[in-house]
Amino acid sequence: MNALHRRTFLKQAGLSAATLPFITGLPSLGLAAPARPRQRLVFMFSPNGTIPANYWPDAAGADFQLKEIMTPLADFKDRMLVLNGVCNKVRGDGDSHMRGMSCLLTGIELFPGNIMGGGGAPAGWASGISIDQEIKNHLQKSDDTRTRFGSLEFGVGVTDRADPWTRMSYAGANKPIAPISDPYQMYEKLYGQMKDKENLQSVLDTVKGDLQKIGKLISAEDRRLLEEHQALVRQMEQEIANAKQQKLNAAPPTLGEGIADQNDNLPRLSRMQIDLLVNSFVNDMARVATLQFTKSVGMARMNWLDIKDGHHSLSHEPDNNADAVAKLTKINKWFAGELAYLVQKLATTPEPGGEGKMIDNTLIVWTNELGKGNSHTLDNIPFLLIGGAPGFSMGRSLKLDKVAHNRLHLALAHAMGHRLETFGKAALCDGGPLKLS
Amino acid sequence: MSLCFTLAANAASFSLFSRKPDGPAIYKQQCAKCHGVAGQGVKDKYSDALVGDWSVEKLTRYIAKTMPEDKPGSCTGPHADAVARYIYDAFYSREARARNKPARVELVRLTNRQNLLAVADLFRASEEPKVTPGKGLAAVGYKSRTTRREDKVLERNDTKIEFDFGKGRPEWAGEGTNGFALNWTGSVIADESGDYEFVVKTANGIRLWVNDDDKPLIDGSVSSFKGVEHTATLRLIGGRAYPLRLEFFKTSRDPLANVTLLWQPPHGARQVIPARNLAPERAATTFILSTPFPADDSSVGYERGVSVSKEWDEAVTHVAIEVATHVTKNLDRLTRSKPNDKDRAEKVAAFCAELVAKAFRRPLTDEQKNLFVTLPLRSAAKLEDGVKRVVLLTLKSPRFLYLGIEGAQPDDFTVAERLSFGLWDSLPDAALMKAAGEGKLRTREEVTAQARRMLADARTRGKVQYFLHRWLQMNHIEDLTKDPNLYPGFTPEIISDLRTSLNLFLDDVVWTDSSDYRRLVLEDDFFVNSRLAKFYGINTEATEDFVRVQLDPKQRSGVITHPYLLAAFSYNKSSSPIHRGVFLTRNIVGRALRPPPIAVAFKDADFKPGMTMREKITELTRPQACHSCHAVINPLGFALENFDAVGRFRDKDGNRPVDTAADYTQDDGGVVRLKGARDIAEFAVKSEHAHNAFIEQLFNQVVKQPLPAYGNDTLNQLRLSFVQSGYNIQKLLVDIATVSALHGIEKPASTTKKKS
Repeated sequence: MNALHRRTFLKQAGLSAATLPFITGLPSLGLAAPARPRQRLVFMFSPNGTIPANYWPDAAGADFQLKEIMTPLADFKDRMLVLNGVCNKVRGDGDSHMRGMSCLLTGIELFPGNIMGGGGAPAGWASGISIDQEIKNHLQKSDDTRTRFGSLEFGVGVTDRADPWTRMSYAGANKPIAPISDPYQMYEKLYGQMKDKENLQSVLDTVKGDLQKIGKLISAEDRRLLEEHQALVRQMEQEIANAKQQKLNAAPPTLGEGIADQNDNLPRLSRMQIDLLVNSFVNDMARVATLQFTKSVGMARMNWLDIKDGHHSLSHEPDNNADAVAKLTKINKWFAGELAYLVQKLATTPEPGGEGKMIDNTLIVWTNELGKGNSHTLDNIPFLLIGGAPGFSMGRSLKLDKVAHNRLHLALAHAMGHRLETFGKAALCDGGPLKLS
Repeated sequence: MSLCFTLAANAASFSLFSRKPDGPAIYKQQCAKCHGVAGQGVKDKYSDALVGDWSVEKLTRYIAKTMPEDKPGSCTGPHADAVARYIYDAFYSREARARNKPARVELVRLTNRQNLLAVADLFRASEEPKVTPGKGLAAVGYKSRTTRREDKVLERNDTKIEFDFGKGRPEWAGEGTNGFALNWTGSVIADESGDYEFVVKTANGIRLWVNDDDKPLIDGSVSSFKGVEHTATLRLIGGRAYPLRLEFFKTSRDPLANVTLLWQPPHGARQVIPARNLAPERAATTFILSTPFPADDSSVGYERGVSVSKEWDEAVTHVAIEVATHVTKNLDRLTRSKPNDKDRAEKVAAFCAELVAKAFRRPLTDEQKNLFVTLPLRSAAKLEDGVKRVVLLTLKSPRFLYLGIEGAQPDDFTVAERLSFGLWDSLPDAALMKAAGEGKLRTREEVTAQARRMLADARTRGKVQYFLHRWLQMNHIEDLTKDPNLYPGFTPEIISDLRTSLNLFLDDVVWTDSSDYRRLVLEDDFFVNSRLAKFYGINTEATEDFVRVQLDPKQRSGVITHPYLLAAFSYNKSSSPIHRGVFLTRNIVGRALRPPPIAVAFKDADFKPGMTMREKITELTRPQACHSCHAVINPLGFALENFDAVGRFRDKDGNRPVDTAADYTQDDGGVVRLKGARDIAEFAVKSEHAHNAFIEQLFNQVVKQPLPAYGNDTLNQLRLSFVQSGYNIQKLLVDIATVSALHGIEKPASTTKKKS
């Protein structure tokens, strides 16, 4: 179901029948100033819960102090909205990690299934669409919000396994979406056509010359066909030249070469993916994105932080294990640093065709499948919002009273112009969208 | 047929002519205004060209009776004879046509099928693993859901994958609490080309790989116990085997265990993949393009690459990009090197040169090597982009896209190319290239020996099936469903089985040693399974797979009476003598037919109730304008009135007895009385017309060039050899391949030496 089969790949790379004709069928890359500011939404995921004491600010309101984990984000404190008290209240089949992951963006139960977890009943896939996809579908419905991809699903070190622990985006019930963990594959998806065109252009002259040469060797009657063929090659050359007039807002990023998809490369892979993510936004290829670091129960070994233990194993250590707490704090702080890199890029990039910076119209939601690793609680999931969106007053720390995370999703949908009344499990939507203005 | 000679009367009306009628003058005066000065036709009058296969005598009679249209009966006797003779000699007859517009071997590009197959064969290993269809898949069972070696408890072959283990464990899995697992491996063999939908029904976890060793086609490892149906569609080329692997596991929590592997083949119904399409050995993967092509020109009755269009150019470009992507993604495997190897660049360049030579079907000159390999590789900053450029350039090059562009003189590699595209619609294999390189494709004997060798390759079977499906018009058949009230039980499964039955029959006739063309129309053996046997009331031991049964030879006679074709050439509610008759006229007895002069639709409601189909058609085609063709069509169609719209034998049409006897008028005016399908078949196998038509259609489909371009006597020679061989189709195929391969090369003596 999640296999990226060759044909699927071609389709994603824009090479399917649906995109014929090749040259003229390219989505316009020239960007006119939009009628309304482009609103964007990013979900960033890191796994295994947080260390609450080193994460949650003590104070509520606009006057709060950042704890250790959030210090990399200090520059953006006035753009932050820390949401304490948001709970994943979806119950049913699946262990906490599974539900934490596969109900995180779907807000609905998992199907019963054959995947046995560390506790609770075994489960299958989520039984509904995830909020990122729901919003993407909404945006793709109208001309002024439609983009080439609608949404992009980035991964960093997600294992090549499809199960409820590795998937948070769902196109629908039983339809998990695999994030793309390989930046080169993502690059191909975003810019492959451009590169192909460049390569194609470089050979057309030789093709023309060859047709001419062969034309001389054959009878006049047969030459007619080759002349027609030559005219078509000339026409394609012209079309490519015309298409080239349409300039991208930003050239594709230059990726380092040969970075293999393995544990020790996570820091580099993360930056590559973030560069691509920002670039795709600048070129308005999508308005919604997910950025998934590893997976729920993720076992990243952060050697680059001098931590030799796997992330998930560490997260099970009791609160009185000071060493583990220190390491987990460091790990979560590293994720915050990656988030800071993303925010920094958006905060320094002017809004294309608009005013201000991109961060003004981009809302990033940093989340996790658990509230706390060693208790496996789905309460007080570390939800940090950063950036800007209509209806969200930033620069605050809020203590909410155990609200269902479905209501946050409703608020996000409303901010993106999709006025949903319920999302996911309807019973968990009582009270409607969270008021965050 | 008697003709009145009314010379006196006509002499008066044609008084401007002398006593000896002047054919050209009469034509110019009386005929040219509707038929054109050279018989080419006149728009809004009679637009079809005056060409055909009637004899002078038949033409004369026809003219005397019906021409000129505004005054029939005014041109008879010697006048009709003179004008008929003029028409016949000037432009009507086959000879006249050949003289006026000599057919020639045209420059053609690859057809879509050829492009698809050639690209697949670009990546084909020289040695393909042998697979033996019919044995099913190799199964390995494990006593737990994990597939650890120590848990392996079962090895066997399964002829089909259709298991319901219920709530328990299969006996071989023994006692245990950790579920169990089964892995099946082997190959799946596609009968026909097209899109195949693979389906796995299961309440458990599965993963399925088809024609791809890495990425599963279906990943259903997460399951929710309820019977789930996983589906995925894959384009396959007919006549080839593809690697298939299916993993199935039941965990301890799964309440039930079951798994079924099905498919819906092109033109077929969804069904459990039968044993005859499965083999326990693993075939190699085949690279199959997903690019769609605009249809090829087939206005002359066979697909050929005589035109180019923007859509085609874009499709070809897509193909080039698709192949370039495939090559760069698999560069390590294809070049047997790793990115950091010291000799990486060298190996990549060598691979590229090999690929280009394979695609161009000939060794590269140094200049070509520079142009197609060295320069593009050097032009890009990254090696991968350089490789992409080589592939793009190669697959967009006329040297790949066109056949026979070697220039002034055809050479050994031309012969190899003609043989492989003739018999396979694809690139020459290593053996052919080797023979060409060693100058061993110069004599008729050498070429014939190669053609014979190539017959054994599955690709030839694919090509023959391609021909047969066009000869029998099976490629156009999409929907055979009939009125369910009149023909209950004629389900998609029956239709699908009928197609399989016909395919098995065709394969059986062509690929046995005798390969006797006559069996195609005379045979009374048919292939049926239990479902078909039941529907058609055939007494045979019921079996799920197809078995050969002999039917009543008085009723059945080869493809003519195969229910698949009878149903195809029928209406939704009734038989259609016209459709059947036209098919028999053109493809079985080999007569030319013009398009109908007036469009008449058959509407059952227009006829009095109680009339038989024969009476209705007789009534419908009564107008004079219909006669010239329906005098031929109807008797042939009526001879099959013993078969209803689903091809079941019947004695009665409604309440009235069926009358199948009719007089069929031959091209020379002679009359044959036909009383049923077998009479037609026996007439056809003795008819030179029928033989010529079969040979010419096979030639066209194989060579994709007009037969007359290969010499005035070639058809005759082919027929003599065909008859002499006992109508051996394989032999005919070899003859055709040889004739076309040596065209313009062979000197009268087959030992002619060519300088190398």
